Amino acid sequence: MIDYSSCVACQECGQLHRYNPVAPGKTATCQRCGSVLYRNRPHMLESVLALTLAGLVLFILSNWLPLLGLRAQSIEQEFHLLGASIAFWDGGYHVLAALIVLNTIVFPLFELLALLIVLLTIRYRWEPSLAIVLFRWMRELKPWGMLEVFMLGILVAMVKLGDMATLIMGTALWSFAGLVVTMTAATSLLEPFVVWRELGRDKRVPTN
Amino acid sequence: MYPQTKPQTAREAGLIQCRTCAGLSHPPAVLGKHEVMRCPRCGAKLRLHEHNNSIEVTWALLIASALLYIPANTLPVMSYYSLGAGQPDTILSGVFRLLGSGQWPLALIVFAASIVVPLMKLITLTFLLISIQRKSHWRQLDRMRLYKITEHVGRWSMVDVFVIAILTGLVQFGNMARVEANSGSFSFAAVVVLTMFAAKTLDGHLIWDITRQEERDK
Repeated sequence: MIDYSSCVACQECGQLHRYNPVAPGKTATCQRCGSVLYRNRPHMLESVLALTLAGLVLFILSNWLPLLGLRAQSIEQEFHLLGASIAFWDGGYHVLAALIVLNTIVFPLFELLALLIVLLTIRYRWEPSLAIVLFRWMRELKPWGMLEVFMLGILVAMVKLGDMATLIMGTALWSFAGLVVTMTAATSLLEPFVVWRELGRDKRVPTN
Repeated sequence: MYPQTKPQTAREAGLIQCRTCAGLSHPPAVLGKHEVMRCPRCGAKLRLHEHNNSIEVTWALLIASALLYIPANTLPVMSYYSLGAGQPDTILSGVFRLLGSGQWPLALIVFAASIVVPLMKLITLTFLLISIQRKSHWRQLDRMRLYKITEHVGRWSMVDVFVIAILTGLVQFGNMARVEANSGSFSFAAVVVLTMFAAKTLDGHLIWDITRQEERDK
């Protein structure tokens, strides 16, 4: 049996490496396939925590306020984030409606809440078992939260409707754009290697 | 900056690597047929290399999505009703409609996301599966990159489903103007979801692992 506590395996190709701390701002990459092994980003946990809190506020605004409005001959239609799936539900496509609710509301919210709990657990040294489960599911479900794809969908729909009727940009459109930026920033800043190391029960070594 | 160590993979060192958290662990000495092995760090299910059925599952998902690709592109995905007259659109005719109204940048985005990406995913995954099964040595690094791109780009195909949902939700003016979703959108979303699952179940390590095994056999 070899001692693997100081080993890091490349997530993409399985190549083993010995863990060597890298200087702040630097990145360690796999020597075979070049994928990122781990990065040293100072204040990573604090930055992601700040972005997560901002994201939660923007999430509430984006769901609460109207996203788009359409006016045609004195009739006005309002459209909320949930409206996309209500439209499919009313049309009899229940599975599609469920898929869209998951993609645009449930998974992004889960991601924000899971990140919040995980980061607070690390920050205040709480018992990590809940955070471990949440962070695992967050990583697994990550590709299924599709806010940025939905943002592109809004833009395409806006151009398509442009010459048909008067389009009203709702307040939530701006908070939604902010939410997309915030969550993308949080995702690219987040360093799963550090989070797993911090959550690992046996080796709670402080980083940075 | 490269951490230096002898070239060796987790599998060659007799370790199991968790695909969720990248954590390493020793496999148990004996594993019963219905016992489930879990990552000691994150609790995700682990699978011994001998029990890796990634190829078979990916083939199944791939064939299912290839079949659904046909109705997804031939059935109308949505209809625009104006003053009682309906106008059904398939994915492709929607692109042409955008092109006809002079919105070519948008037409390009929709064409890329809805037609090129799903088709490329089907072709790429088929190619990767065959090359893995043939234990190909050919350009592993490029094939791995191809796999990563396929995995990451797939979700953007959902954009057409979202556009249909937004238009259906917004354009509801009774007889004057109305947008309705059609059954093609269901097949289309199913193609996107199934190819996403297929890309996820395909084990990228196999591109490298088989080569190593073959090297030892020589």
